[in-house]
Amino acid sequence: MGRVKIARKSTFIDMTAMSDVTVLLLTFFMLTSTFLQKEPTTVITPPSVSTEKVQETNFVQVLLSPEGKVWLTMNNDTSSNWSNEKMKMALLDKVSEIYNESHKNKISFTPEQKYTFSKVGSFGVPLNQLGEFLDLASQQEGQTRMDEWLAGEDENPNHVTGIPISWNSDESKPNEFQMWMKAMRQTENSNLADKIKDGTGVAIKADQNTSFDIVHMVMDNLQTIHMNKFTLLTALKGAEE
Amino acid sequence: MAEVQQNNGGGKGKGHQKKMTIRVDFTPMVDMNMLLITFFMLCTTMIKSQTLTIALPSNEKVQNEENMSQASADDAVTIILDAKRKTGSFDVDTVNGKVQPIIYYYFGKPGGDAGILGPGGTVLSENNNIQESQFLANDEKSGRARGIREIIQQRNKDVLTEINKLKEKYANGGFGSLETKDGREKAQMAYDEAASKIRKDENLKKPVIIIKSTPQASFGSLVSVLDEMQINSISKYQIDNMTKADSLMVIDYQNRHHK
Repeated sequence: MGRVKIARKSTFIDMTAMSDVTVLLLTFFMLTSTFLQKEPTTVITPPSVSTEKVQETNFVQVLLSPEGKVWLTMNNDTSSNWSNEKMKMALLDKVSEIYNESHKNKISFTPEQKYTFSKVGSFGVPLNQLGEFLDLASQQEGQTRMDEWLAGEDENPNHVTGIPISWNSDESKPNEFQMWMKAMRQTENSNLADKIKDGTGVAIKADQNTSFDIVHMVMDNLQTIHMNKFTLLTALKGAEE
Repeated sequence: MAEVQQNNGGGKGKGHQKKMTIRVDFTPMVDMNMLLITFFMLCTTMIKSQTLTIALPSNEKVQNEENMSQASADDAVTIILDAKRKTGSFDVDTVNGKVQPIIYYYFGKPGGDAGILGPGGTVLSENNNIQESQFLANDEKSGRARGIREIIQQRNKDVLTEINKLKEKYANGGFGSLETKDGREKAQMAYDEAASKIRKDENLKKPVIIIKSTPQASFGSLVSVLDEMQINSISKYQIDNMTKADSLMVIDYQNRHHK
């Protein structure tokens, strides 16, 4: 009986082609990706039939937690001279200017603090604590501690998160939320001011189970400072009429 | 592909040509790339969220407009958003455990012409013209509107019949051919213009919808009701605060029905 000879074949698979493909895919994802912004709270936006897409640049996002805390995010035109960093520094100057008009305890920020502010995504602590908040960046594990503060998981009971807001229909005595929103209109970025005027520049993001009262308070605050048009962020509902 | 053949010497001194193959194993490279791709895929936001634009009057104007909305009491429909609470029961949605949204509505003035408040501040239950409804999608089989949508559509009949005529015209190519992409865009624009003209037409009878809400209602209900405005082509609506009469009517209704 003759033995059947099995030819020994190498199992080496050429991975070069595979590697080529993956590199291409990787490049695609790297170039198209916009990173998810880290937000102090997670919300599920309510479903709606509206198909209008959200703005990419030049808008202010008002994030509302179900407990009624408010955080802001400023998105500027990245294509022109108004970079996010530059505008955020200008915003901080403006808001402290407005704040100092009506408060005895003046606030001011150091260049380091301004630089830190220009780098943060969502912000929202009372203005008299903002300096302390921004100082955290230079400390050890500063970023983590800042995130914890914003999310309200801080150990220090004096640290308050969320921009102070209350029912207020007197335009001459704005609350801090209204000060921030006013300052947003006043930076050099005229595109943002225009967008705020036509309503696409202010986006309110709230959870579907947030009480209407809280959302109404924010809307009322905006109406007081003549921002009558704004958008509500929603998720797309399945096809229905 | 990943091999390099080396040819050394060309066999000058010795008789044989020595061939050496260098193979580079790309497997780890692919592994790493895959990991990176996974990372980027999970971190990107491909789906952008949608927005709903609303315009509200500024606070100063609201006071002036009160007279205006009173003048058109015939057309006024007030919708009050609420969450379902039965006295003494814990009634929640069995699907997601949330409080069920519920809505009340009434036509014209609260309590009709006589008003809800009787002499001495008593509540006149017999004048209570509030009714209860829900957010419901169209009936799947018949396509008929249900819940609050049916109520709104009845009130906005005139506008909706005109809009439906336009839709038919659009589908039949009345606004231009739908064959090409360019044509579709043009037809869509013409349709939108015609539709907005109808919505604003003063000769058609249109309701003015006033949206109010109890503190228990959710943001989701507000978006749902704004959606209904869009679906039913309502041009005039506003968000307002509850008045005393509204609250009394809701409490009175709940006392009688939610036991």
